Amino acid sequence: MQTPRKKRPGEGTFGILALVLSLGFAWQSYEIAGFSALSSPGAFPMAASAIMVVASLIIVLKNRRLPTLAEGGFGAAARAFWRSVSPPVVLAFIAFILVYSALLDGLGFLPSSFLFLLAAIHYLHRGSARFSFIVALLSLAAVYAVFRLIFTVVLPEGIVPEREIMAWIEHLFSGGAGR
Amino acid sequence: MMEALQYFAIAWTDPKLLLLVAAGTMSGIYVGAIPGLSVTMAVSILISFTFSWDVNEALCLMVGIYMGGVYGGSRTAILLNIPGAPSAIATALDGYPLALKGEAGQAIGLSTTMSAIGGFLGILVLAVAAPVVSEFALTFQPRDYMLLAILGILLVGSLSGESLAKGVWAGAFGMLIGTVGLDPLTAEERFTFGVTELWNGISFIAVMIGLFGVSEALVQLHHIGKEAVKQKVGKIAPSWAMIRKYLPLSLQTSGIGVIIGALPGTGGDIAALLAYDHAKRVTRDPEVPFGEGAKEGLVAPETANNAAVGGAFIPMLTLGIPGDAVTAIIIGALYIHGLNPGPMLMIDRPHMFWFMVGNLMLANILMLVFGLTGIKVFTKIVECPRAILIPLILLLSVVGAYAVNNAITDVYWMLGFGLLGYFMKTYGYQVGPVILGVILARLIDENWRRAIISEGESLSAFFVNMVSSPLSLVLLAVVLLILVNQSPLWPVIRRRVLGGETT
Repeated sequence: MQTPRKKRPGEGTFGILALVLSLGFAWQSYEIAGFSALSSPGAFPMAASAIMVVASLIIVLKNRRLPTLAEGGFGAAARAFWRSVSPPVVLAFIAFILVYSALLDGLGFLPSSFLFLLAAIHYLHRGSARFSFIVALLSLAAVYAVFRLIFTVVLPEGIVPEREIMAWIEHLFSGGAGR
Repeated sequence: MMEALQYFAIAWTDPKLLLLVAAGTMSGIYVGAIPGLSVTMAVSILISFTFSWDVNEALCLMVGIYMGGVYGGSRTAILLNIPGAPSAIATALDGYPLALKGEAGQAIGLSTTMSAIGGFLGILVLAVAAPVVSEFALTFQPRDYMLLAILGILLVGSLSGESLAKGVWAGAFGMLIGTVGLDPLTAEERFTFGVTELWNGISFIAVMIGLFGVSEALVQLHHIGKEAVKQKVGKIAPSWAMIRKYLPLSLQTSGIGVIIGALPGTGGDIAALLAYDHAKRVTRDPEVPFGEGAKEGLVAPETANNAAVGGAFIPMLTLGIPGDAVTAIIIGALYIHGLNPGPMLMIDRPHMFWFMVGNLMLANILMLVFGLTGIKVFTKIVECPRAILIPLILLLSVVGAYAVNNAITDVYWMLGFGLLGYFMKTYGYQVGPVILGVILARLIDENWRRAIISEGESLSAFFVNMVSSPLSLVLLAVVLLILVNQSPLWPVIRRRVLGGETT
């Protein structure tokens, strides 16, 4: 028998949440067609969610047997969770991405991505502002060149009049070639 | 035959396709090598950008990335003891000790050559076996497809995870995500909660990028302080004598790689570990003990994981069942490009098959070329600090999710699944089964309903026919064996049946 590993902070709660989610899916699957027929559109979802319920029940029961890492009640458990599972850096990044995706549509790809890269790199690297600025600018230029220009991916345009600029550049090149 | 050869050579002769395979292989090697960037992540992010392309071009890029990525992980495993990808975990065991002795260059050269040999054998088996398998697959009943798909999800869940229950939960969860939207047979709404945007289901690309890109980037944030170690590398191409010496072993481990790769749901990572174990058992007296820099310990996993690539394409192209997470993504991409992988693909459009075999072969050769060159540049790129890498991964994830449908909702789905994936990874749940579940949900659902309708809705007739067909019976037995083997009942059964031979 191996020595049982310690329960990670929040693992028990996640197991229970997984069980709740499974039960929710099971209920919703039943709502599709009930037990009307084995070939009904709800049959497969019901089977899959039943499997989820059973599996998450097993996980919850197993979790109860694991020794907890943090002694000292809910407060200590919450602190342990805060420290090892969702430290500030992870929360900050989730916030960065949320703000980025909110800005993406309105502001456009170029400005919003630049702001995101600048903020994220500066936050992680903790170097000089100039370094973050240059790295963000260069990496954005590389991404833009590869995906927008070579892969021709459609990206939100936003406030930057990209098409006019592109047309102008094309005009410049065709003019320079003397055609 | 001539026709097959012609399709085989398409990418070899078209400069644009050739360039795409080369670009894919090259980026695959680098992406695979950078710790924290897995092949699955790279393919899932890049795939979203190729939807507007011609299918041939998209396939060239994907195949290249897959082949290069599986190999690329070995580089950092040897140089830094950080496997760049899960399939290189076994490579680090003996590769890093070799680097510590200052033989990193030689180790990289040997692993590159062996990867190419493994890759070549895998493709050879694919070319020979796939047409046979697909013909055999025509005799498959709907229930066999259903069982095979379930087997695939179970294998991913049981072999790579912390516990079978967690793997099964993740697989079933993925299957439910796959059913969201209008039912393809009756157009009834499933899990849409009256929201019309959900009628088409949740974009599987968004789910995939979230689970493999965003969640991994969030996990990597914990390791932000780790500094990259610098290494020196000299001559790398291995001698003929050395290749000849390890050829017998490499043939055996390639065999293991192909078979494991061909099993639905298992890929290079498991193949590499099993091959390493095999090498340990068959090598009677290694020059250097295993774990301290035995070359056998390098040869075995590297041949196996690249051989698994060819193997993984067999169930994907002949049955439409992914061999691992990357082929699951490629299947998704094929669907979007209007191709239906399965036995009919081989019959209706054999050129697609030979085209892919040709691409794989080309990627394998290019891998050898790129692998033996450019080590100096390589070490520079791998030293790229995570502080720059992680924001870039996230940027590409957001752009990739957006690019599929030009919809910001997909970005939110991606974020949601990214967060969920982060917690799943933290608590020992595998994310691989989720994506397999999403891809296979439709196949299982449709085949189950077809099977049960053809039995006149009678469950007993369904089971009687299942146990009376040899193929279905074997598949059912394997599925049950995996479940029982992992349950607490197993030791009890073993004691009863085998008479106390417990370890």
